[in-house]
Amino acid sequence: MAEVVTQQAQTDTQSRFWGFAGFWGLHAWIFAYSFVMLSAFYIQFVEGEFPCPLCMLQRYGMILSTAGALLIVMQARRGTLTTAKYSQGLGMGLLGALIGGAEVSVRQILLHIKPGDPGYGAPVLGIHLYTWALITFIIVIAYCGVQLVLAPRGIPQAPPEGSPLRTLSTVIIWIFIGVVAANVVAIIFLEGFAWVLPDDPTGYNLIDQFRGK
Amino acid sequence: MILLLVILLLIWRGANRHLIIALWFVGLVAVVGLFRFHVTSALDLSF
Repeated sequence: MAEVVTQQAQTDTQSRFWGFAGFWGLHAWIFAYSFVMLSAFYIQFVEGEFPCPLCMLQRYGMILSTAGALLIVMQARRGTLTTAKYSQGLGMGLLGALIGGAEVSVRQILLHIKPGDPGYGAPVLGIHLYTWALITFIIVIAYCGVQLVLAPRGIPQAPPEGSPLRTLSTVIIWIFIGVVAANVVAIIFLEGFAWVLPDDPTGYNLIDQFRGK
Repeated sequence: MILLLVILLLIWRGANRHLIIALWFVGLVAVVGLFRFHVTSALDLSF
């Protein structure tokens, strides 16, 4: 009887560990893409490099894939997460990273792959931003694959309401939503009264249009 | 981009999951469409 109780306790501890790791793994994903997009803002506003349409499409891919992670996190926080919903969220993450993001990154890398081509924009740590973007998409795709293989282990368990960890989770989510909202404002300024970005943007179209340029 | 923000806010508010996934697919198709729009030249990979 004591052996059964000990086994049960071990199983509970393992389950809590995997639930904890699953929950905060998704937050790491959400926070990492917030950081990536904030870094892109730094390059845009401080270093004065304007994002090309392919750069913006890669940001869309990051947001699309992270929507899957966010869906899982919110279901876990509400206590309504099931294995099926978990798989749907990871599937959104996979497709968003693959079709929305990696496809665009690969295209941009191939555009500048010829010897002597300086690439688009300044490199960061020796690698151009679109190559970094592809690396992040590959990490997301691998993460989703590993989580799907491990399932039902790793299905997130949210910390109880009112706990500091719950607050941290809320902060991470709102940083991401805030960064996406800032992107909406930025793209309105970049595009101005047009449906799409110019191929090689050199300024903020909205401001130029108001000035009558 | 506005659609993507709306999707995130719907997820936060706990809207119907089928609505979220449907809008998410619209977003994915829109991104693919934008990609097709912007990619107009063939890749020159002759080294």
